[in-house]
Amino acid sequence: MAKIGVFICHCGENIASKVDCNKLATSIGEHPGVAVALDYKYFCSDPGQERLKKAIKENNLTGVVVAACSPMMHEATFRKACAEAGLNPYLCEIANIREQCSWVHTDYDMATQKAMEITRSMVEKVKRNNKLQPIEVPVTRRALVIGGGIAGIQAALDIANAGQQVVLVEREPSLGGHMAQLSETFPTLDCSQCIMTPRMVEASQHPNIRLLTYAEIESVDGYIGNFQVRIRMKARYVDMSTCTGCGDCITKCPTKKISSEFDCGMGKRTAIYTPFAQSVPNIPVIDKASCTYFKNGKCKVCMKSCELNSINFDMQDEFIDLDFGAIVVATGFQVQDNSVYGEYGYGKYKDVINGLQFERLASASGPTSGKILRPSDGKEPENIVFIQCAGSRDCSKGVRYCSKICCMYTAKHSMLYAHKVHGGIAQIFYMDIRAAGKGYDEFTRRAIEEDKAAYFRGRVSKVWQENGKLMVRGVDTLLGKPVVIAADMVVLATAMVPQPDAKDFAKTIGIGYDEYGFFNEAHLKLRPVESSTAGVFLAGACQSPKDIPDSVAQASASASKVLALFSKDKLEREPVVASNNETTCAGCWGCVLACPYNAIEKKDILDRSGKVIKRVASVNPGLCQGCGTCVTFCRSNSLDLAGFTEKQIFAEVMAL
Amino acid sequence: MTIQEKYKARVKELLSTGAVKMVIGYKPGSTAERRRPLFMRSPEEADQLVLDTACIANLAGYLVAEGLLSDDKRVGIFLKPDGIRSINILAAEAQLNIDQIVVLGFDIDGQEVNALEGESAGDFSALIESIKDHAPEAPRNPLIEQIEQMNPIQRFDFWQTEFSRCIKCYACRQACPMCYCRRCIVDSNQPQWINTSSHTLGNLEWNIIRAFHLSGRCVGCGNCDRACPVNIPLRLINARMGQEVLGAFDHFAGMSETQEPVLASFKKDDSETFIL
Repeated sequence: MAKIGVFICHCGENIASKVDCNKLATSIGEHPGVAVALDYKYFCSDPGQERLKKAIKENNLTGVVVAACSPMMHEATFRKACAEAGLNPYLCEIANIREQCSWVHTDYDMATQKAMEITRSMVEKVKRNNKLQPIEVPVTRRALVIGGGIAGIQAALDIANAGQQVVLVEREPSLGGHMAQLSETFPTLDCSQCIMTPRMVEASQHPNIRLLTYAEIESVDGYIGNFQVRIRMKARYVDMSTCTGCGDCITKCPTKKISSEFDCGMGKRTAIYTPFAQSVPNIPVIDKASCTYFKNGKCKVCMKSCELNSINFDMQDEFIDLDFGAIVVATGFQVQDNSVYGEYGYGKYKDVINGLQFERLASASGPTSGKILRPSDGKEPENIVFIQCAGSRDCSKGVRYCSKICCMYTAKHSMLYAHKVHGGIAQIFYMDIRAAGKGYDEFTRRAIEEDKAAYFRGRVSKVWQENGKLMVRGVDTLLGKPVVIAADMVVLATAMVPQPDAKDFAKTIGIGYDEYGFFNEAHLKLRPVESSTAGVFLAGACQSPKDIPDSVAQASASASKVLALFSKDKLEREPVVASNNETTCAGCWGCVLACPYNAIEKKDILDRSGKVIKRVASVNPGLCQGCGTCVTFCRSNSLDLAGFTEKQIFAEVMAL
Repeated sequence: MTIQEKYKARVKELLSTGAVKMVIGYKPGSTAERRRPLFMRSPEEADQLVLDTACIANLAGYLVAEGLLSDDKRVGIFLKPDGIRSINILAAEAQLNIDQIVVLGFDIDGQEVNALEGESAGDFSALIESIKDHAPEAPRNPLIEQIEQMNPIQRFDFWQTEFSRCIKCYACRQACPMCYCRRCIVDSNQPQWINTSSHTLGNLEWNIIRAFHLSGRCVGCGNCDRACPVNIPLRLINARMGQEVLGAFDHFAGMSETQEPVLASFKKDDSETFIL
């Protein structure tokens, strides 16, 4: 005979203001099988939990229903309390009468009635609950960090410094990401490469970090603690084991006019190249699409110039299969293609460039060795107009969100310009100046007050060329007047957007993403570094636009999550897994295909002589994540999910 | 030589050489319009074979009879294109080994019966492809047009009236080549999801469940329609589901023996992310 205890929480006024908890306790107390029904102000409090434990022991309860907030909040709390009172934790269920009842209703009597229904339904379920034991799975103590920008490097270093193994995968030929492209960084104006390159070197030389550059993730299988990952090592056509990085091949390469990705098209590179001087590893790759030999079958100048015979044109992509316990995704961002703004003339006028291109102009390692020179004629610009929110906060052509970094880097650009070109005038069109960060507002004030940046609050409607000048027509909304400025250069503060292949990548590793392609966190406020998939963490701008301090902070946060995971020998998993009734299974394999975790295998049923009588589906509980997809697919109702069995669900529904 | 005689000779040859252990075909039924299944194990039994425009039943369902194919021997079967699609689905769902099936294909065109070239299911893939391509302009049952003109309330009333005649005999299930489960969901009573008694709710539950279980699998052979003793136009529901699946997923049931079931397969470029 069932002896169910029902514990109704007032949640202060959260529930009690809309639900008559006392009446609920009285009436559910009369429901068949309910041995005790109590209401209390806060059952999650220590005295509340003590009441629950006491009631379990005194009444020898066989099941517990806590009518309170969402199970997302306190299911773990109450299950633990039950376990401490000697009751199997899986005999405790939560009836959600807060999020799904009191918070969303206004009528007291009707809300009380609904709370009654929800609670009764859960009592009927709990009567059919079974004692379950958690499943233990081993943890592979090796982390995969995807992306070798500042976020990925930081996460890899933090994990490696704690003594755990890391594989750091970067798809470009070198570590560095966007940070390596930047000139100086706000709000301190220290040189980006000067602070970045030591980290790159540290990561490449760390005994616990295995660095795989020019590599991409091919597939990810498995689950938290036990991921199986296939990594594609793209053919470099240069033998990494013998190449010393002398650079002879690069000097000799006859194909020299390829637009440099690292310089954002402002500079040129050769077909065999390293992206930049401090590349890590300092080993070139051959760009197959541009290489004369790959196009015409003749050349091989690099091969002849290499004294160590490191060039191998027959090299093929290779695959590495590795097991991991956790994954940190730090795949970064891209800048939006500004050609959508035809009125700003990007792509049409050479002297209209985006913010990242300006970084290359201002960088000592850039195409002009740090001199601010117009791309069209190499002259020093006498004034520059900066247009903020070129893409951000624009529902019609750009993206709705704020890219977060542009206010700061535009202020920085105006300062760099003022420092490098004395007398140069920076004029900035802005919507709002968003400078929330340590030292950020002081920094923008400095741009205005010390470096005389002129800020116009308003948008620009058009940029056109006239008498060798770029005419910028905008509005100064503070004066309420239209403005036309004749500029030597225009810099667009372009929106940050996800990597173009972010959605495909998310599907490869099985994490969620938003409408733009930024990866979704498990909870915006309370779990900002976890993805929705257990064991996969996020770092940097792949989640949302971020500046360097935020990216680094999130990377370290991810690393701490990984280390917490690695601190245990075994992981305990919820025993909510599917099982198959082999007698009724028709062996159609629909479930095998439907299972997103590859947790269902085909199993032969043999007779005594070893002959196959039939083949049925068999669920591997180690892989099953309890999503229930197979259960809903199974036409013969042979599959069932522990903790959510058909009997339990049916009883729940029928009690309504 | 008529097509019937030609095929009779072919069956005799198949059985006498031992190429197949059995051929499933048609024989005369209780009236001139009706045909019965014929299971021929010896050349002599082929004398009863009939092949004419009344041979409309889809015989594919007989192939999944327990134990029939477990000896790895081959079986011949008379099939129209819909039947060939059925065995493709059965093979895709691991219910039979397609190599064991020798197809004696035929098609009914008005008052004529034509032979179809080919012997194994794969030989007919071009034919099935062209049926798929012509599916949108294929003549539709006038009743479908009529039902589609109705508003949701009228449509619900229509089906409720139709289903009210259902006596839960499950003849539709027995006749359907896709209903091969050893235990059907209606036979599962722990819990009893579907009411067994013949009343409005139970009838609706059964027929809706059946429609979902057949979505992306029904080839529109009409076995269910013909089996129904109270003449519920069951085929219409499945035809409509087939149309939805074709439109939404470009899935035409029974294209090949390797076709993945539409409701169980997941494509990476699917625009919906909920399945993650």
